[in-house]
Amino acid sequence: MGKLLVVFKREYLERVRSRWFVIGTLLGPAFLLLIVGAPRLMGDRSEGSRDVARIDVIDATGTGLGNRVADALRAKYPLSRAPYVRTVDASKVPLEEDRSVLRVQRDEVLGALVLDSTTIKGDSVRYAGRNAGSHMDVDAIRNVVRNVVLADQMASAGIDAKQVDEFSHIRLDIHVQKIGDKGLEKGNPIAVILLGYGVALLLYMMIVVYGQAIMRSVLEEKSTRVAEVVVSSVDTDTLLAGKILGVGLVAITQVVSWIVLGAAALMYFPQIMGGGDAMGGVADSSMVSGAASGAAGGASAAAALVKAGLPTVPVWATIALFLCFVLGFIFYASLFAAVGAMVNSQEDVQQAATPVMLLLVSSAIFMGPIMANPTSNLAKTMSILPTSAPIIMPLRMTLVPVPWIEIVGALAGVSAACAAAIWLSGRIYRVGLLMYGKKPTIRELAKWVKEAR
Amino acid sequence: MSDLAIDIRNVVKRYDEHVAVSDLSLAVPRGTVYGLLGPNGAGKTTTIRMLLNIIVPDSGTITLLGTPHRTRGLTDRIGYLPEERGLYKKMQVRRVLRFLAELKGVPGREAERRIDEWLERLELKTADRDWGLAKVDELSRGMQQKVQFIGTLLHDPDLVILDEPFSGLDPINAQALKDSIVELKARGKTIIFSTHLMDNAERLCDSVCIIARGQKVLDGGVAEVRKAHSGRMVALAVDGDSRERIAPVLGDRTLITRVDDNNRYYELELAPGGDAQQVLRRVIDTGVPISRFELVLPSLHQIFLERVGARGVEEGMSGHG
Repeated sequence: MGKLLVVFKREYLERVRSRWFVIGTLLGPAFLLLIVGAPRLMGDRSEGSRDVARIDVIDATGTGLGNRVADALRAKYPLSRAPYVRTVDASKVPLEEDRSVLRVQRDEVLGALVLDSTTIKGDSVRYAGRNAGSHMDVDAIRNVVRNVVLADQMASAGIDAKQVDEFSHIRLDIHVQKIGDKGLEKGNPIAVILLGYGVALLLYMMIVVYGQAIMRSVLEEKSTRVAEVVVSSVDTDTLLAGKILGVGLVAITQVVSWIVLGAAALMYFPQIMGGGDAMGGVADSSMVSGAASGAAGGASAAAALVKAGLPTVPVWATIALFLCFVLGFIFYASLFAAVGAMVNSQEDVQQAATPVMLLLVSSAIFMGPIMANPTSNLAKTMSILPTSAPIIMPLRMTLVPVPWIEIVGALAGVSAACAAAIWLSGRIYRVGLLMYGKKPTIRELAKWVKEAR
Repeated sequence: MSDLAIDIRNVVKRYDEHVAVSDLSLAVPRGTVYGLLGPNGAGKTTTIRMLLNIIVPDSGTITLLGTPHRTRGLTDRIGYLPEERGLYKKMQVRRVLRFLAELKGVPGREAERRIDEWLERLELKTADRDWGLAKVDELSRGMQQKVQFIGTLLHDPDLVILDEPFSGLDPINAQALKDSIVELKARGKTIIFSTHLMDNAERLCDSVCIIARGQKVLDGGVAEVRKAHSGRMVALAVDGDSRERIAPVLGDRTLITRVDDNNRYYELELAPGGDAQQVLRRVIDTGVPISRFELVLPSLHQIFLERVGARGVEEGMSGHG
């Protein structure tokens, strides 16, 4: 026990003391602010300053549609510079379009909108411009034209223009609420989705980052040859256990620091979080893989939750969640440790880690589909399969009620997988740690496992 | 209490293709300096790793300091310097040393005190600079070797096991290592080290064991081993350019089996049944001026060559010693 503590202490303290840990811990919330805040800030500005309406409107309809579209554009984008309307004969359209191309090239306008007989019928409208690649801009223009055409058609059908205007501005909000086993649940369902997403992403990220940290740590001991001195003082099982526990606690320390920092930031600067828009921003940035967005995703979800009203998370669920992390971490960490013990160089290690990474990434890939449909068979399977359960079960649990038998089953499965991984890795570790030379083949690995004592 | 520090009996370790250690028995008395000699690949490192319970023998027993070697806590009384040396590069020197000491059960405060003592003693902590506060990779190679050596001895072990301790040492550190070994012995500690440098072994060791191809070739006290091989070695020194004239004598395999030719100084190993007087007579007959003719105790180097031979050295070139 004493030696386990010594190994554990070294792994933990050396990491927590390191510059990278401090930077990561401080930048985690900063990333969150950036990712949550940036789209919001940019969105706010672009609403006003973006020159969506600074376009040529080439009107070949002969009905004055061009002017009405221009008016609507001006009304909708008051901060944008105004559109230029050219009412032309249908035969002159190609000529006018060429002229507009030149104007766009000289940056006099952003693009050219062509209204013709098909537009009046509500069939099509043509737009060419520098921003033709932007869905948002194109949609905005299309909507304006559509509303004007719709108003025209309704007016010609005898409906009052004023009424048309009112009708076309109907705003319908949907208020949703989640029903769980105990009836209606409190809290914002978007917050629930964010919680699930955030927790799953955080688990995934922590396992990836810190699992690989263990792998590198083993490789370092091997390649600096310090391993031999260490294993002459402490048996390899204790060494491996101390390593996994030490690094695991570093991960937990980091998450707790983020939560504390996030909570503090919210308390002192509540305005940075904004309202629902911010959460929209987070949802938009979903499924961007990688550590940075993972960190921000997790932390921002937590922050957004506080804002939106915490959904009720029962104590048992919190415990299950914690167990998911601990077991999942141990499972993957011991596999990563075995990989580190197998190879001798930084070049080999990434390749050797691929199978483990594939297992991990396969859980992350399915996070999107499972969030979209948490009651599907895919969700069920992935949340019970031991390799993905530590990440997918928390996700599913927060989205929909999961029968307790499935949760217990998944945890039991992961525990069994853990035991197997520890057994296997312990053996590979014991032999591999003092094996120098080329990377072992699968057959050699099997022999290591068989012969390790 | 057993008076043996190390008692190895009939130990065998096999790997797929070869037997690394075959039925090896060794007895190292307490308070002695013991040399484990052998060519590369002879099984020295395997033997040492088995002593330290890093690898497990297929059969046989090992007793260290009177206790079975797999006893819990026994490794705390052993200091080990492996052949492949290294430390955590990014860690502060003091922290590495403290970690190594704590792994051996030395309490933190006591470890700190001893670290200071050792750093000062090996001049890693001077009025100008305290290298203990530097990171390991900021140290020169020689300094890192010192740190590694401190790590081996920080817990004041009763048994010190050094695997090829002299390889890669600069002359100053090699001298410091020799001094330390002598000092440890004076304090009643047992030191066993492996080497293929016979000069070091001959000067430092009380007893030696020569192993080759995983088997013991001979063992015993250095003096006895040399005496047991005496009477068969002749030191011959001649003057002038006489090489060609004595060549036929030295080439006579009925008289001499082996010649260590140092240009004008030769060490001859007599053939079984060969007679030193006859060799002397034949050399005088050639008319070469003789400046020295002496029956000598063979050096460990010669005994090693005689017993292990060039064959053993070449065969055992692969893998760890």
